Amino acid sequence: MKTLMTTAKVALLAGSVAAAPAIAFAADNPIRGNIRIVIGSKSTGGDTYQASSIIAEALADKIDANIKVDAVGFSAGYQALARVPSGNTLMIFHDQAYLGHLYKQKGYEDPFKQWQIGPSFATNPGNGYLVPKNSPYKNMDEILNAAGNGQTIRVAIQPGGVSEIGYTAMKNAVRLAYPGQEDNLVALNTGSQSDKNQAMFDGLADVINGSVQANEQYTRLPADDQKAMNFVWLTAKSSTLQGANPEGMGQTSRDELLQYASGLGVKVPMDAENDFTFDKEFFFLYNKRMSPEVVAFLDKALADVFADGKVQETLKKSFFIPNFRTSAEAQKHFQAKRDSYAKIIENLHK
Amino acid sequence: MEFLELLSPAFFLLAAAGSIIGIIFGAIPGMTATMAVAVCLPLTYTLGLQEGLALLLGLYVGGISGGLVPAVLLNIPGTPSSITTTFDGYPMAQRGEAERALKTCIVASLFGGFFSAVILFFFAPVLADFAIKFSYVEKFLMIFFAMSVIASLSKNILMGVFSGLIGVLLSLIGTYDVSNGGNGEYRLMMPFMEDYLAYGFSLLPVLIGLFGISTIIEEAEKGVTETSHENKVNLSKGKPFSFSIFKGQFGNLLRSSSIGTFIGMLPGIGGSAASILAYTQQKNLSKQPEKLGKGEPEGLVASESANNGLTGGALIPLLSLGIPGDSTTAVLIGAFTLQGLQVGPLFIGENIDTWYSMITGLMFANIIMFIVMFYAIRYIAKVVLIPKFVLYPIIVMMCAVGAYAINYGIMFDVWTLLIFGVAGWIFTKIGIEIAPLVIGFILGSAAEVYFVKSLESYGEYSILVTKSPIAMVLWGLIILSIVLSVMIHKKSKKQAQQESAS
Repeated sequence: MKTLMTTAKVALLAGSVAAAPAIAFAADNPIRGNIRIVIGSKSTGGDTYQASSIIAEALADKIDANIKVDAVGFSAGYQALARVPSGNTLMIFHDQAYLGHLYKQKGYEDPFKQWQIGPSFATNPGNGYLVPKNSPYKNMDEILNAAGNGQTIRVAIQPGGVSEIGYTAMKNAVRLAYPGQEDNLVALNTGSQSDKNQAMFDGLADVINGSVQANEQYTRLPADDQKAMNFVWLTAKSSTLQGANPEGMGQTSRDELLQYASGLGVKVPMDAENDFTFDKEFFFLYNKRMSPEVVAFLDKALADVFADGKVQETLKKSFFIPNFRTSAEAQKHFQAKRDSYAKIIENLHK
Repeated sequence: MEFLELLSPAFFLLAAAGSIIGIIFGAIPGMTATMAVAVCLPLTYTLGLQEGLALLLGLYVGGISGGLVPAVLLNIPGTPSSITTTFDGYPMAQRGEAERALKTCIVASLFGGFFSAVILFFFAPVLADFAIKFSYVEKFLMIFFAMSVIASLSKNILMGVFSGLIGVLLSLIGTYDVSNGGNGEYRLMMPFMEDYLAYGFSLLPVLIGLFGISTIIEEAEKGVTETSHENKVNLSKGKPFSFSIFKGQFGNLLRSSSIGTFIGMLPGIGGSAASILAYTQQKNLSKQPEKLGKGEPEGLVASESANNGLTGGALIPLLSLGIPGDSTTAVLIGAFTLQGLQVGPLFIGENIDTWYSMITGLMFANIIMFIVMFYAIRYIAKVVLIPKFVLYPIIVMMCAVGAYAINYGIMFDVWTLLIFGVAGWIFTKIGIEIAPLVIGFILGSAAEVYFVKSLESYGEYSILVTKSPIAMVLWGLIILSIVLSVMIHKKSKKQAQQESAS
């Protein structure tokens, strides 16, 4: 009985110690009521929903608030964010926010003018390109050289964003090595990942945009399977990819994936000195009128979440790379990132 | 049988709770299975994969099935896939056979659900390999086949086709979305519409407006008169339910469930096409096609077995390719995402225990759906006894709440409900037919995407016929469907002439 009482006391104490930070944060919380996080994707099967749910769960625990993630898509998300400056509606998106604007997609305004850039928290190093297993092209060199030598290469992408930036880089690389031949790379305008896969199965695309998360299982199918495919390029920096879980994704280890990373196994030149890389990063967007007090509170709460160290493990388990920056750091980082990709896109349109 | 260890009492409890909550969501006009799954999705984060999936599968089955209740009792399809249930269900309810109609629907739903779960269990990978043979061309033809039902459902073929065309044009308003492979440009828009209609009219408010609100406006036009009480539905007047209804319906059940499962496994076609296609094929092949649409149980059997057949069908590409088959499974995939689990071509083999527990959950949810609905239905059927001046304001309120919630709080969706309610009332007065219009609206945008993509990809019109043997077979079915519809129209016209002569 005594042991039981002692155990109960210890449990109670442990519970109160664990709950203490949450209570402290709850007391300081300038956001009254529940928090809704809208995301820029309509899919609950994609990486945006997954990363957002992980961070929302951790943040909710930390500040002792109810947080719900809604996969509403960028357009409805922007509308919801514009309506609520109190911090009760936040948004999570990725580099598409400024790439959509750079590619002049409808509905995409300049996020640096329209919103406050909030903290970043994760990178998905899985964005990449694939070919069928029985493709005549085994790697990026062969693809770029074939295009340079007059072969038409059809690349299935969704225009105007993360999916297109790698295609832009491929065109740029062909232009550098074989000036005037870049138009041999043709974009096949498809929608969802399933459309891109289907374009490959139908023989309509030579290369498709995909991701480690969505396509890894397809790379393990036998070569005689119509659905079998291989990665040829992962756009993430090799240093970023090295930060991923060593187990990698599914049955493919991080080291196996590294052979497709820029700078290691693959070379897609951006200019005479540098290779092109692209890390897909997730970050918060805030209403422009949201008070500095709320911004500082969320910065502090997220910094604490990362200081605890648990969220990093959860993110890594799902093949994300933890990547926390405060609002001010993120603003600076993404502005610089935007400017550098703007130059590449501009070069191609000259 | 290690998976048996995963099946805790909580697993069954959650599947049952999901099924019941799903039925409620499905039964409220404006709330759908997709919404039920979306609302409960975050719960799976803490529940764990097996329990989370049990809850979501229950919601899915319950949500799809619950849609039959307002379709039969109120002439409002609870979910888009129960449109064709209104065609015969509501006339039966008006005749005092609400309980008979509802029970027919429930038994057909159970058959469809079980049928598709069995197909899913035994043939998922094989069927997924077959599904990827359907490229843009075959998907367009599949939709075109479903559209051919307009000819069969119209009272007047010319007016029906015209109404269907209006539906297609309405569905094209908005952006040709890049996420569908479009160019991101606006179509059929004037500048002032851009803020509201950038992504077009939402399906559900349009549907509820045309079916529900327009009926209510029509009733309001008639007003509450002395005689309206005398015409009140008498529940004991009509024939009671008996399993003998299904005598001679086995072929219908099997065909409609197969159509439902098959349409479900083709991503991008849309679940509503399943019941539309099954209903019309039943009408084309029926011995008494002229009776369908006037309150025939065989129409209900076709519609409901097809839309529940969809549940297992839509899980086939999800679990065999990682691609959701319909809008609800597109949300359901989030349960796997939240657990950090990949779904793709190797999912079943690598997660065999999860696979078995999903099939168990699906079967169990169907059983619970059947038990709850079959035995509760006699009480639910009494909704038709509520005086219309009490019932209709409640329905309008529920429709408005549902429309507002469907896209997570967009006020224009409520206006859409009203606009299409008034439009539906005017349409019926000027002879435009609602059912073909709605079918055109549902299928129009997908037809456009696949038609344009077919031409973009292959660059010639002839590819629509010559692409593959599947395409040729589909053309055969389309022609057959149209010819049969025309023959049925001629036959019923002749009959009407003979009757008027005698």
